[in-house]
Amino acid sequence: MSVQNDAILPKGVSRKEFDKAIKKFRALLGEENVLVKADQLVPYNKIMMPVENAAHAPSAALTATTVEQIQGVVKICNAHRIPIWTISTGRNFGYGSAAPVARGQVILDLKKMNKIISIDPVMCTALVEPGVTYGQLYDHIEEHDLPLMLSFSAPSAIAGPVGNTMDRGVGYTPYGEHLMMQCGMEVVLANGDVYRTGMGGVEGSNTWQIFKWGYGPTLDGMFTQANYGITTKMGFWLMPKPPVFKPFEVIFENEADIVEIVDLLRPLRMSGTIPNSVVIANILWEASSGNVRRSAYTSEPGRTPDLVLEKIQGDTGMGAWNLYAALYGTQEQVDVNWKIVSDVFEKHGKGRIVTQEEAGDTQPFKYRAELMSGVPNLQEFGLYNWRGGGGSMWFAPVSEARGSECQKQAALAKGILHKHGLDYVAEFIVAPRDMHHVIDVLFDRTNDEESKRADACFNELLDEFEKEGYAVYRVNTRFQERVAQSYGPIKRDVEHAIKRALDPNNILAPGRSGIDLDTYKKT
Amino acid sequence: MNVNRRFVLKGMALSGIAGLAMGGSLRALAGTAATANDASTGGHPVVALANEGAVELAFLHGAMKASGSRLRVQRVSRDLAFMLDFERQVRSRQATRIIGLLDDASATLVVAMARSAGARVQWLGQHTAEAGFTRHHLLTTELAEGCSRQLSRHLHACGAGFSLNEERHNGSMAPRQLTGPACSGNQSAQWAASIGHLLASLGARPALATPLAPATSKPVTGRFASFSIAA
Repeated sequence: MSVQNDAILPKGVSRKEFDKAIKKFRALLGEENVLVKADQLVPYNKIMMPVENAAHAPSAALTATTVEQIQGVVKICNAHRIPIWTISTGRNFGYGSAAPVARGQVILDLKKMNKIISIDPVMCTALVEPGVTYGQLYDHIEEHDLPLMLSFSAPSAIAGPVGNTMDRGVGYTPYGEHLMMQCGMEVVLANGDVYRTGMGGVEGSNTWQIFKWGYGPTLDGMFTQANYGITTKMGFWLMPKPPVFKPFEVIFENEADIVEIVDLLRPLRMSGTIPNSVVIANILWEASSGNVRRSAYTSEPGRTPDLVLEKIQGDTGMGAWNLYAALYGTQEQVDVNWKIVSDVFEKHGKGRIVTQEEAGDTQPFKYRAELMSGVPNLQEFGLYNWRGGGGSMWFAPVSEARGSECQKQAALAKGILHKHGLDYVAEFIVAPRDMHHVIDVLFDRTNDEESKRADACFNELLDEFEKEGYAVYRVNTRFQERVAQSYGPIKRDVEHAIKRALDPNNILAPGRSGIDLDTYKKT
Repeated sequence: MNVNRRFVLKGMALSGIAGLAMGGSLRALAGTAATANDASTGGHPVVALANEGAVELAFLHGAMKASGSRLRVQRVSRDLAFMLDFERQVRSRQATRIIGLLDDASATLVVAMARSAGARVQWLGQHTAEAGFTRHHLLTTELAEGCSRQLSRHLHACGAGFSLNEERHNGSMAPRQLTGPACSGNQSAQWAASIGHLLASLGARPALATPLAPATSKPVTGRFASFSIAA
């Protein structure tokens, strides 16, 4: 896996051709928006995957501020066959950070396109540019005292809705399935055309952020986790801020309880009694996001022994599984639903319910409650201190919201991770029917042997889960081609047919989700 | 209290902690070091980000020897207000270099905020210190030419076993891999003092002998990340 670290160029592009393109980029964007020096590019190359940085090193980074500039960028890229990797905020840490999928790709960084174009507090909609962060939106909502609530993933304030939604990320509120709440996109296509989805193509329409489907084929989803265009505007729905918000936790002592937890929870989610994306975090996820470090308990290499996990549970009062959910609405609604929910868990008898009044400001309850109520924080970065060493890969298979399935996946993942001397640090994010089983594969990048183990472990997780009919919904840039294979040849053929039609020169993020006209061979 | 004020106060607080922990020697050291080394660091202010702990103090010790009175120390918090304020500070600063040795979570956030603020990064390091052995993974630029060799010499000299892997972004050379055997039971934080000294000296004339890290009674172990950022 070693990559010779000489001058970085896009694959198949000569130095002469590259320099011509750079000259044109400078004329279009200005000198200060064309970054080619090593110290300008290093911050884009901080990766957490078990591979040399060189494998994902960009040859340049561009910053654009207008749609017209992006049209100009794709024109230059077409002329010189320059592949570009677009990022909005680039805060996709465990999925590949800001670095491109392939060495030499030019990063198009849209952080300067950061206008909140509109927020309508009556219709509860927003329209934003790709560089807008959740933090900006939160400040805007607070400053204008708008009765609205955001939904975001754990990096919250420093990430943004466009990047998160385009990668089909999720949050923790009732609006937590972000693509479902997206409404209207503006996309610059590889030929420079500006395409608006839904009602956006209708002259004078005021329903672009209101009605998702428009007329004829609805293509919004096609642009997510894909490389068919560059999203320059995105609309989405905002949740009206409820008068009452009641977060709670249910702590379960035993790992085997996961079956009953999920089977109790599913009807409550399906009926909407619990309306938000519930989290069930295991002891190691809970402990590390609560600032517990492995080094406080053991210095032994390899996976953390069960006895240590039990000791952490005993010391902290955390459970083997820790369920976080919330109720939203008027006092009357919350009271009724709280009775239903608390009756279910009390009758079951294995979980210990913790309310906000009981938890106070303790972590991780505090940050979980904040995430479920649209208040940003960075608490979950504590995961990176559990083991330390800078290695992190999110393994995120989809599971049925069925207890036996969750147990099966958890056991399978744990067995593979332990075989490779790594920890099972996991949470389930619970929708009514599906669960995102998110596992943070943490390892030490200073240790070559451990990095190799982590890489082998991730491959084995993909292989063994696939044998059981499971696949991940999202993956870091090192494994995107591998995961595309899990979804079968016909899907890939269709995806490449679309790519040929929309981007025949293969300039937009080749390799994204395994879509690359230069390397793909029809089966 | 606004966030800016809190940012500075936290820095002052850490200076206090450092001084206390090292018997007040750190401030005095900074004063004397200034005379010898001001010219060698090019005259630009250097801000060191650090937290409490023996390794961090050793890092600051080394940095102060190189930067003298131009070194300002700021304590890092992982909370959102700090990180957003840090980003604003980087965006608005002129000709300041920010170095640091932090826990992984804090360093991940600091580097991410530096990128969005448009800063340049000359050095990113991952470091693991175990009993009698350290491992280092570096991503550097030309400005850090010679640093890995110098670091390996320091590590050899202090007797700790080590492995060092350096990647140079856009450089013409292959990744450099250096190793050294342990030849004493030394478990000091000397490596951190060496990195502090090297980072504070980046871009200046080659650093001379690295100051010895303060003696510690306990083994100094853990995992850390280092950086040099030009605002």
